[in-house]
Amino acid sequence: MSSVISVQDLNLELGNETILKDISFEIKEGDYCAVIGPNGGGKTTLMRAVLGLQSYSSGAVKLFGKPLKSFKDWNKIGYVPQRASNMDSEFPATVREVVCMGRSSGYSLFWKKDEEDVKAVNSAMELMEVQDLQDRRIGELSGGQRQRAMIARALVSNPEVLVLDEPNTGVDMVVQQKFYALLRELNKKRNITIILITHDIGVVADDIKSIFRVNQTLLASDTPHEVLSCDDMSELYGIHAHLVDGHSHD
Amino acid sequence: MIEMFEYDFMQRAFLAGIIISIISAIAGSFVVLKRYSLLADTLAHVSLVGVSIAILLDTSPVYMAIIVSVIAAWMIEYLRSYHKIYSDSILAIFLSGSLALSVIIISVANEFNSSLFAYLFGSILAVSSEDLILISIAGVLLLAIFVIFFRSFFFIAFDEEAAQTSGVPVKWLNFLLVTLVAIIIALSIRIVGTLLIGALMVIPVISALRFKKGFFYTVIIALAISLISVISGLSLSYHYSLPSGATIVAVVLGMFIASMLINRRG
Repeated sequence: MSSVISVQDLNLELGNETILKDISFEIKEGDYCAVIGPNGGGKTTLMRAVLGLQSYSSGAVKLFGKPLKSFKDWNKIGYVPQRASNMDSEFPATVREVVCMGRSSGYSLFWKKDEEDVKAVNSAMELMEVQDLQDRRIGELSGGQRQRAMIARALVSNPEVLVLDEPNTGVDMVVQQKFYALLRELNKKRNITIILITHDIGVVADDIKSIFRVNQTLLASDTPHEVLSCDDMSELYGIHAHLVDGHSHD
Repeated sequence: MIEMFEYDFMQRAFLAGIIISIISAIAGSFVVLKRYSLLADTLAHVSLVGVSIAILLDTSPVYMAIIVSVIAAWMIEYLRSYHKIYSDSILAIFLSGSLALSVIIISVANEFNSSLFAYLFGSILAVSSEDLILISIAGVLLLAIFVIFFRSFFFIAFDEEAAQTSGVPVKWLNFLLVTLVAIIIALSIRIVGTLLIGALMVIPVISALRFKKGFFYTVIIALAISLISVISGLSLSYHYSLPSGATIVAVVLGMFIASMLINRRG
């Protein structure tokens, strides 16, 4: 399997403060990864640096084998930022308009809605079950519906990698379970590489193939079984951790 | 009503006003949604510096206003994007700084007179044939640019970072948008005046937002409000000999109050 994201010796300092230190990892095609760590530990900053949204002090980032600076195939990456779930409720955009945004640019500045775009938008809305909501304003939707619309927008360019930053903030347990089932399907059936920044360690442990424990530096990257020990979690969050054995989806 | 169109200056004022109302409503839609409403007001004050320089040098106020506004727009966007200074702080500096500068230049030129008054508050008599040709050509070009980049500007207004990770050249388009706004404002000073153009760009959009529609229909409603305000404002200005800019803004304020009343449940 080829590498979709490769990070080598990444360092990020803001003023005199070290935000990220000596981080190296690789994510391969078809992986389902979780990035976990305490608040302020640099999880979001790390992924923002990988996606070119945050400049870094030293190191190298490659996307699909190409250096970040010369990477152009952004349609291969779908990104749902953290604030997507608590966006401006007054913003005048219907669900359909939001999903269409995902087709607004790939290679060209000039956007023309052709038959292929319409098909892609309809198919993404259908997949995320938001077709019935297409004429509703995004701000009127519940947290779960809004989250599905935002993911439909990220999926509409048929990405090979989906990056989700704490997508379940403010969403209830039932919706969360449905959401993780959907991510599992996207990963298994469509072979979409999924990178999930999350605090839901217990939930993701059932699905994911590898976990990155980040607290300024990369403390460990391995399978959930190897990484999610009580001692490791205590070290990561700085409190005594007690893990309860969960159920399996299989 | 019809007899006012017998005058060439009224025909020119209406044509220029209609073009300006269309492009300012579209530009205003993006500016308001980016929480950048004061940009229009700030660039309007900056354009006054251009007018002052033109009066001092006895050259074309509109062209000078375009040059000065575009340079200021780039400086504002550069400071916002690359130096991470709060947008409202940058706008406050440029707004008061440019007003101070223009007052100094006008004092040096010793030109505190009625011609300056026309640039501050707009005048239906002020649109010359050359102005109308410039406004028409620029209007068509600006409209074409907005049509081409409509989706990208919308995506950036919705979520700048998501747009960037989708391959939209966000920084480049942000510079383009402030450039377009600067040009529209400089073109509008004849009709609406530098102190009032900000209102024409922003209030129709805020009124349209009260109808709680999607983006496309919000722009259409803003466009309709802007057009009605300019046409009614110019007519009232002619009939009651009022400054055109102030009359247009008074009408657009009335439209805003009406939109609040119609949608008071929201």
